[in-house]
Amino acid sequence: MSDFGFEEEEFTTDFSGQTLWRILGLARPHWRWVLGFLFTIAVVSAVDSILTFITAKIIDDAILANDREALIRWVTLYAGLIFVSAAGVFGFIYLAGILGERIRYDMRRSLFNHLQELSLSYFDRTPVGWIISRVTSDTDRVAELVTWGLLDVTWGILNILTAMIFMVIINWRLALIVFAFLPVIVISAVEFRKRILTEFRLVRKINSKITGAFNESVTGVRVTKALGREEENLREFGGLTSDMFKAGYRAAWLSALFLPVVQLVSSFAIGAVVWFGGLEVLTGAMTIGGIQAFVSYILFMLWPIQEMARVYAEMQRALASGERVFSLMDSVPEISDKPDAFDPGSILGDIKFDHVDFHYKADSPILRDFSLSVERGETIALVGPTGGGKSTIVNLLARFYEPTGGVITIGGEDYTHFSLQAIHSRLGMVLQTPHLFSGTIRDNIRYGYLEADQSEVEQAAKIAGAHDFVVAMEEGYESEVGEGGVLLSVGQKQLISLARAVLADPEIFIMDEATSSVDTLTESLIQRGIEAMMTDRTSFIIAHRLSTIKRADRILVIREGQIAEMGSHLELLRLRGHYYRLYTQQFRRQLEKQYGVFGAPKPTPA
Amino acid sequence: MTELGTDFDLQETLADRRIVGLWRLMRGFRLIFLVATLSIGGAALARAGTYLLLGFYVDQVLVAEDAGRLLPWVALAFLALALAQGGATFLSGRLAAKTAEGIAKRTREYLFDHLQRLHFRYHDKARTGELVQRSTSDVDAIRRFFSDQALGASRIVLLLVVNLAVLINLNLRLALLSVVVVPITVAMSFFLFRRISEAYEAYQEQEATLSNRLQENLSGVRVVKAFARQEYERSKFDVENWEKFTRGRRVLRLHSVYWPLSDILSSFQLLFGLTIGALMAMDGTITIGAYITYAGMIFWIIWPIRNLGRLVVQMSAGLVSYGRVAEIIREQEEPLRLGEYEPTGPPAGEVTFEGVEFEYEAGSPVLRQIDLHVRPGQVIALLGPTGSGKSSLVNLLPRFYEYTGGSLKLDGVELNTYPRSYLRRHIGIVEQEPFLFSRTIRENIAYGAKHEVSQEQIEAAARAAAIHDVILTFSDGYDTLVGERGVTLSGGQKQRIAIARTLLADPQILILDDSTSSVDPETEVLIREALERLMQNRTSFVIAHRIQSLMGADLILVLDRGRVVQRGTHEELLEEGGLYLQIHDAQTRIEVELGKEMAGV
Repeated sequence: MSDFGFEEEEFTTDFSGQTLWRILGLARPHWRWVLGFLFTIAVVSAVDSILTFITAKIIDDAILANDREALIRWVTLYAGLIFVSAAGVFGFIYLAGILGERIRYDMRRSLFNHLQELSLSYFDRTPVGWIISRVTSDTDRVAELVTWGLLDVTWGILNILTAMIFMVIINWRLALIVFAFLPVIVISAVEFRKRILTEFRLVRKINSKITGAFNESVTGVRVTKALGREEENLREFGGLTSDMFKAGYRAAWLSALFLPVVQLVSSFAIGAVVWFGGLEVLTGAMTIGGIQAFVSYILFMLWPIQEMARVYAEMQRALASGERVFSLMDSVPEISDKPDAFDPGSILGDIKFDHVDFHYKADSPILRDFSLSVERGETIALVGPTGGGKSTIVNLLARFYEPTGGVITIGGEDYTHFSLQAIHSRLGMVLQTPHLFSGTIRDNIRYGYLEADQSEVEQAAKIAGAHDFVVAMEEGYESEVGEGGVLLSVGQKQLISLARAVLADPEIFIMDEATSSVDTLTESLIQRGIEAMMTDRTSFIIAHRLSTIKRADRILVIREGQIAEMGSHLELLRLRGHYYRLYTQQFRRQLEKQYGVFGAPKPTPA
Repeated sequence: MTELGTDFDLQETLADRRIVGLWRLMRGFRLIFLVATLSIGGAALARAGTYLLLGFYVDQVLVAEDAGRLLPWVALAFLALALAQGGATFLSGRLAAKTAEGIAKRTREYLFDHLQRLHFRYHDKARTGELVQRSTSDVDAIRRFFSDQALGASRIVLLLVVNLAVLINLNLRLALLSVVVVPITVAMSFFLFRRISEAYEAYQEQEATLSNRLQENLSGVRVVKAFARQEYERSKFDVENWEKFTRGRRVLRLHSVYWPLSDILSSFQLLFGLTIGALMAMDGTITIGAYITYAGMIFWIIWPIRNLGRLVVQMSAGLVSYGRVAEIIREQEEPLRLGEYEPTGPPAGEVTFEGVEFEYEAGSPVLRQIDLHVRPGQVIALLGPTGSGKSSLVNLLPRFYEYTGGSLKLDGVELNTYPRSYLRRHIGIVEQEPFLFSRTIRENIAYGAKHEVSQEQIEAAARAAAIHDVILTFSDGYDTLVGERGVTLSGGQKQRIAIARTLLADPQILILDDSTSSVDPETEVLIREALERLMQNRTSFVIAHRIQSLMGADLILVLDRGRVVQRGTHEELLEEGGLYLQIHDAQTRIEVELGKEMAGV
């Protein structure tokens, strides 16, 4: 529950024709289905009105005229129309439904594909929860609008139109009286719906707060207990539930009021029919069946009007959803291939940061005039405090970001001239919190090289030091790692992600060492794996372990976006500066752990 | 109506059968809900009245001598009936909403309070996501059970009963012939909606899979990019996306079979009834007005019944939700206030352990035969490997867990005779990785205070905890939000805010986890100083991770596998040898090695 605080966004209430047009455009590739359901719904609503008309005819032509043959005639027609209507119902449910599913599928597919193109900076500033709601609930709402929304509106309009036609046919004077009531019914329905929707929006907002409160209360239950805050917490929560009660109750009774009010307005129309229609019957201008038909038409018209009001009210929400979906679709990747980008064939060359500036936000620079030359095959260790800029340097090198000033060259060429694919396919990366995908261990290692066969996978695992613990598992390489790798320990995850990088056989190797503790055995396995990786390629390592640091060709102490100290291990120690302090602290910590002095790690294997 | 709160213990509502539990949950709302249901019946009656009036109008008014004079009155009567019907419908909706919202509010509040009062043992095992889900979505399902489903089902049944009753009065034979199809429709709707709900569940499951897939892709975006695996990811997502399309189609097929089929059934029933009615009207068995009444009412029997299956299936989902909520309600709370002995003032802080034993699960003791005497104001350091029982020992003091043997006394009185609330008020805890709430920093610091605290007091506590200056660097200062929507604090910063929080709560006894593992050397010094200020004049139990923090302790306990293997001051223990000396030696060896290392420089 990472996004509980993510409140429902307010959206513009003005009608956006452009967005609506674009939403309708989503159905264009499937126009046959659209035509299909529009046609079938037209058939159904026409048949509906005809059936009511037939009912009136049965009264007038059969019962009142005492004509059995007429009865048989009308009943037969009615029976035939039932099948037509049922076929139509089948058609529109299936076609509109399948269209909805298909549009969902299409939208999600193109959103997902687009997301793969977007740059890392986009993901840094956009919470995962936000993106997920765009891809799931917003596409749902948009799909609803193009299918059931469109269907309900078509059904409603046609139903009302055909009813109106039949009313005019039966008695045009009375029909005109009824038409006078129509706008009142429609407007009151729409206005009501809008208000109800506003109330429900409030309910949803409070509801997400309640969810947040529960989440925090459960996660922080130890603190609550320790500080004896139970009563105060309940009092605060009581405020939320009271708000919820008020909003929910109000929304509910407002919706309960909706139907009665619309019915009441329409009953004026019925009253008018009874009164004036009655007078018409007396003068013989109208039949009893006609009266019955009028009453039925008015009563049945309420449903389409209600549905249309609902669609209209919800349309704004759907439009807002559409706007957000399109904004995601339209966002342009900040880092992409230049028009003449090329693949140099290899990126194993000298790397140079030439007066590089970088900032995420314009007013807070991370790197300033940063210069660094690295020879091919060199191993660079980056050390220094959190937030100093170590990760930024490797992110720039991986071209997850590009410098905001200066250039980075690989083999003498500005790396933005290369295609992204050229760089990324020759890069090996191990992150501090190793990310695994749900699936088997084999799947995860193979992520580094999809075509690898079992022996190559095993070979990579052996080099990375993961093989032994993998085969010790019941299902070996077929073992599931669980979502995000939860079924494995941190150390195991790191070994797997090392193996993944080994299999990729990169030309540049980037590693952010984990700070979290792993047991000594795993630790030494990881060490061996890293060493194996460091040979024959240029390596950048954000290092926390002494052995890694010491093995580097060069150590960079990065503080506040600058290289504070640079040199070999011994050179830096002699300085007695930042590096010296970092090193001694690290030294103590590591040996303490090695000797198992305080709180030796639990003796779990690997 | 907002004063419902936790007006009674929901544990009283628990029953073997879930439906009985729901009935008990309705306490205080049963009358209202009954009126809501009766109102629906009233609305159905008014509707039937409208059709009867229509029949009367055709049979009596239109043929009457003074029809023209009567007509306005009839029109008015139609209006009146519509008003009655609308009023009754509204009343039932409103009362049902009150019932449903009221029960939901009561349940939410109860669950919230209940959860924060359940034993540690419960929370050790429970999963947050699931508890939250049950407290929100499942409660909402219970709400819908009352507001929509129970009411909706009642409406269908009452429409059937009222209209059928009127029709029987009209003509028994016709009435019975008109509902032949009803049992079939009901059976069919039950059958199909069960299928539909299964298919729909599978569809929803796939939706969850899909969003997990997306979530995984998004949180692994660096890996995807680093290995240039966009194509691979696309095809993996597409498989799940297509599967969802397929499952959606399955749901759709069921719908597109059910509705036309039930349409045909119902329409033919309707036509059959109309034909029989027409024949009866023709041979004079019923009047033309009666026929028109019939033609209107029959609709309200046959069409709504098609939804009965849907509602009943949804109601069973509501029952399942109630069952899940009831599982939480069933758990026992820890009685916070229960205890015979509650002094008015704070304790002096004298703690005595005599042969204390503790086990989480019977048969696997965590603490064995702990003997310890602590005088007020003393500092006790606990040392030992992970799993040696250090945390378990201190967790007994605020009665987070109950000792299972021996005697543990505070100021000479057995600890389990004190109310938990008293102990927790006077025992402060600073954890290794303290939890902060998504509130402002100010609120987090004041979180444990028992009374109103001024800004000066908060700042003083923050200064003493060496966090004041850091707070001032944030743009909103003390009003900065902690967490996702505000600043992300480092481990060391969190720890110092927790120290300030504890200072403000001003407990007599302290429990500290003295860990400074993930902070840089400068911060380490700050935290150590803050901790020392905190420990002044308080009985303190320190879980130590470093020899330096032990040296000032009045008594050091070395624990190993639940037993105290050594005790004494630093000097005494050095003298004594054993595990302590080993640890100390290791520490010394580190310094020696560091020295050696540096010698080569």
